[in-house]
Amino acid sequence: MNNILKAAKLDVALVKPYIKTICFTLVLPIVFAAINRSLLTGVSFAMCFIAMTTGYTFSVTEKNSMERLYGILPIKKSEMVIGRYLFVLVLGMFALVISLITQPIVLRSMGENIRVLDIVSAAIGGLFMFALYTVFQIPGYYKYGAIKGRVFMYIPVVGFLATLFLLPQIPADNPIVVTIANSPILLMLLAIVLVVVMYAVSIWFSIRIMESKEM
Amino acid sequence: MNNYLEVTNLSKSFNSFQLHNISFTLPKGYIMGLIGPNGSGKTTTIKLILNMLARNGGEIKIMGLDNISDEQKVKSELGVVFDTNYFSDDWKVSQVEKAISVFYTNWSSKIFADMLKKFHIAPDKKVKELSKGMQMKLMIACAFSYDAKLLILDEPTSGLDPVSRDELLKILSEYIEDGEHSVLFSTHITGDLERAADYITYISYGELFFSGSKDEFIDMFRIVKGGNDELSANLSNKAVGIRTFPTGFEALVKTEHIGEFSDLSIEPATIDEIIVFTSKRGEDYE
Repeated sequence: MNNILKAAKLDVALVKPYIKTICFTLVLPIVFAAINRSLLTGVSFAMCFIAMTTGYTFSVTEKNSMERLYGILPIKKSEMVIGRYLFVLVLGMFALVISLITQPIVLRSMGENIRVLDIVSAAIGGLFMFALYTVFQIPGYYKYGAIKGRVFMYIPVVGFLATLFLLPQIPADNPIVVTIANSPILLMLLAIVLVVVMYAVSIWFSIRIMESKEM
Repeated sequence: MNNYLEVTNLSKSFNSFQLHNISFTLPKGYIMGLIGPNGSGKTTTIKLILNMLARNGGEIKIMGLDNISDEQKVKSELGVVFDTNYFSDDWKVSQVEKAISVFYTNWSSKIFADMLKKFHIAPDKKVKELSKGMQMKLMIACAFSYDAKLLILDEPTSGLDPVSRDELLKILSEYIEDGEHSVLFSTHITGDLERAADYITYISYGELFFSGSKDEFIDMFRIVKGGNDELSANLSNKAVGIRTFPTGFEALVKTEHIGEFSDLSIEPATIDEIIVFTSKRGEDYE
């Protein structure tokens, strides 16, 4: 097994005792989606909440002084870092898929008409927001640890509020916005490119922090 | 390859502490005790060996390989036990195996199960439910399960009751019996060394004081005892350290000078006495 996968597997083992809590964070956004009658809102909340749980691995590591375990395992620091990002990404995908299944069911049962395009838009929006939140959080945790770096946990909240504030500021008749908004494929491609670039930069920072860190 | 660990001129600087030119060699098939007062640099030396700290100078070779450029290969041959457990408290013992075994290609579940049986550790118990001694044994069981060739233990016996300490030392002695494994363990409980160590490396306040065989270390010094009126200027000059009492004195003197004081009471020095007498600045640290 590849070392990155091994590191991700170790992270899964770290958060296993908290799986119920993590799953519970996906219930509340269903209520938000129902109240707002909006899939995009519900999925955004779900991704915001799940992004907050990405600190669990750091908390468990710090609580149990497990940096010593990471220090003795036959694996490079860069592989450990990438493994953690992989785990976070898988966690995000899990939350996204669950939200995209449960929330449309609830909304449809309330008489809302959920189209495929709504699901695609919510998926793109949710993925993008999750990436936006986690790319700041993870290097923050690596740099300052789970306790001091807890302040980075609030970036998702700030990010969510900022997104809500900034979205209406973009002129709806802007030709670039119109072109992108009318082309789901273009929108998806743009989101994916941005997500990849953001994660690449974030991983680079995290590896640099870890490689210069003494355990 | 005869040496499992070769440390040469190892140096590390912190703001308030420096480790200077530490050199020692641990041959294959032996146990070495790394000793020194609290804050003398034992844990720093171990963390440098494990590349958990960046060294400022020197070289470390483990089984002939550089500990940095061949880090992964080296670490797959190393077993490490710290003074406290490094697994998640919420893991069950069986989950420890699941989480750790994937990192070692030669992990043997059979050996792990055998070790748990031998150590009386129930696989369904949570790590936090194990006593400190049991947690120590769990770390050792993991190291044995991938046949770690070099076992490094940092203060393994501190906080253990005498029975657990005795068990641990027995385990270490059995571990090196086949001549293919070595142990480096730091401690300030010198009774452990007298029982288990073949070699001693003594670090005092960041400086290497001695590295060699235990017998050679103990034979380097003698304790000279006498009444207060027998404490001569010559003895004061030659003594490494002196302790005075209302009724007399005790001095640690190098064996080579002992002939000059043959009229006084001379006794072999214990490792404890050597450390106490040679630690001049004990209060300055930790």
